[in-house]
Amino acid sequence: MSSVETYPEGLAITVEGVSKRFGRTLALDDVSLAVPHGTVFALLGPNGAGKSTLIDILCTIGRPDSGRALIAGIDVVKQPLAARRQLGVVFQETTLDTRLTVRENLSFHGMVYQMGRRERLTRTDEMLELVDLTDWADSEVKTLSSGMRRRLEIARALMHRPQILFLDEPTVGLDAQARARIWDYIAALRAQQDLTVIVTTHYIEEVDACDDICIIDRGKILAKGSPDALKSQHGSTLLKVTPRSDEARAAILARYPDAVAGAESQLLIQMTATDSADAILAEFGNQLRQISIDQPSLESVFLSLTGRDLREAPPVSRKARRNG
Amino acid sequence: MSTALSRGFGQARGVYAIWLREVKRSLRDKGQLVGGVSRPLLWVLILGIGLNPYFRGEVYGEVRFVVPYTYLQFIFPAVIVLNILYTSIQSAVSLIWDREFGFLREVLVSPMPRNLILLGKVLGGATTAVIHGCMVLVVARFVGVAPSWSDIAQAIGLMFVLSFGLTAFGIVIANYIRGFESFGVFSNAVILPLYFTASSVFPLDPALTRAQTLVTYPEWLVYMVEFNPLTYAIDAMRGILIDFNQFDPAFNFQVVGVLAVGLFLLAMWEFRKV
Repeated sequence: MSSVETYPEGLAITVEGVSKRFGRTLALDDVSLAVPHGTVFALLGPNGAGKSTLIDILCTIGRPDSGRALIAGIDVVKQPLAARRQLGVVFQETTLDTRLTVRENLSFHGMVYQMGRRERLTRTDEMLELVDLTDWADSEVKTLSSGMRRRLEIARALMHRPQILFLDEPTVGLDAQARARIWDYIAALRAQQDLTVIVTTHYIEEVDACDDICIIDRGKILAKGSPDALKSQHGSTLLKVTPRSDEARAAILARYPDAVAGAESQLLIQMTATDSADAILAEFGNQLRQISIDQPSLESVFLSLTGRDLREAPPVSRKARRNG
Repeated sequence: MSTALSRGFGQARGVYAIWLREVKRSLRDKGQLVGGVSRPLLWVLILGIGLNPYFRGEVYGEVRFVVPYTYLQFIFPAVIVLNILYTSIQSAVSLIWDREFGFLREVLVSPMPRNLILLGKVLGGATTAVIHGCMVLVVARFVGVAPSWSDIAQAIGLMFVLSFGLTAFGIVIANYIRGFESFGVFSNAVILPLYFTASSVFPLDPALTRAQTLVTYPEWLVYMVEFNPLTYAIDAMRGILIDFNQFDPAFNFQVVGVLAVGLFLLAMWEFRKV
């Protein structure tokens, strides 16, 4: 393995100037980032931001048009097979074989990752234990709930002891309880040594627990940093008001042209001076149905960086996103 | 050197895993098993027994047909090939399934080279097809076909090479199908025409000269039969099981062998893009 290029000490992932175009859409526009070893790193952005395209390139499925990407120091374009050994991937859509049993899925994975028989057997049991699926080992996957399937996929991705685990929207389509449980597992993995976790999500409330966040929109990286650093740099106190009528709405918009439409006919106003909450109450107090003041949050960070509410970002269909 | 060896072992294990999954899945698929049993039964019981009395030693104008076998014996090797044809293509179609439901991605991000993924898949499909071919072979005695053990071994060998080629062919087709609906179309547009124009249900009598054959059958049909590679596979199977050949046996095996290798290479080419 002498051909492997050396990489900056302690970096699990290096992305340098990666661009990718699908037809007329620039899905990734000169993206660079570095992820230190042993951290939990979140890629945050609305649907269609380019997260999945970036993950595909890092997983060696997609090829960048330009730039380069290293996984544990291995170039994903030049040495895809070597890079894949260091990767565990949980894709957004389930990739289990539902006609095989839980154990058979893990065993299949162990074999295609070329693990020896003994190691495969012990590792299967360890992984089943890790995600509390030991009792389901011999059930066919089609009998499992979607939360259990997700846990199985995480277990499977870790079978071959990868250095880096990718979780692409791991909590989409799960109920609140199952989502919380997935994040419990991620926290447990974080405590484990020698694993870097890259997670993509568009649920903003989920990434507060990560070490580093990278906010990405329309193929560009807008900001990087720890949640606290991002909040203090880009966050602002956010005023959420619900006008009583359309006239009131128009009046508020005329007064605060930077206000952004939020969920449920809310208007989101970023406060610059401390007195603006008082100002708006004095001016429009009787025309508001509801008002709330949010302390700096990642939501306001996203708003101030992109000028739109993450929740309100128009959903892009799966196909459109794949094709850019 | 030893790392190359251990990597070779590792990759062989990966091919085995893909093969094992294919075989397990198809054996658990009740629908496929039911088809594999009922299809040959219908062909042999209804068509075979029904046409049996009309087949022998007919005089047609000046010409006497000299296929010295009953219709059941004649059609039996073709029914084996039919079962193989269906099963191979069905196995290959699981590729569409894998692509649609994402399982393919799990394999594509593994450290297995694409060609070996394809090899495992094709070997798995071929194995299933051979199993389905053998299910037909089991009833040989009831239709008056009595192969020796060495005949059976040769037949299984031929089945495997043929299944290998046909599964590769199915993968090439599957690569062009988007969605499941169109598979029914392909089955009717590919499987049945291939089968019927392979001299499967009627002979091109070897006793006839070419001129006589062209008088007996319309020209286009004769050309289609001669052009269809499956003709030679069925003829090879007949040669092994009932010692009846319409074409040169050596040429038959060459066609089947070249087809298997050629179609696998074509599938490799297609699979790069998946």
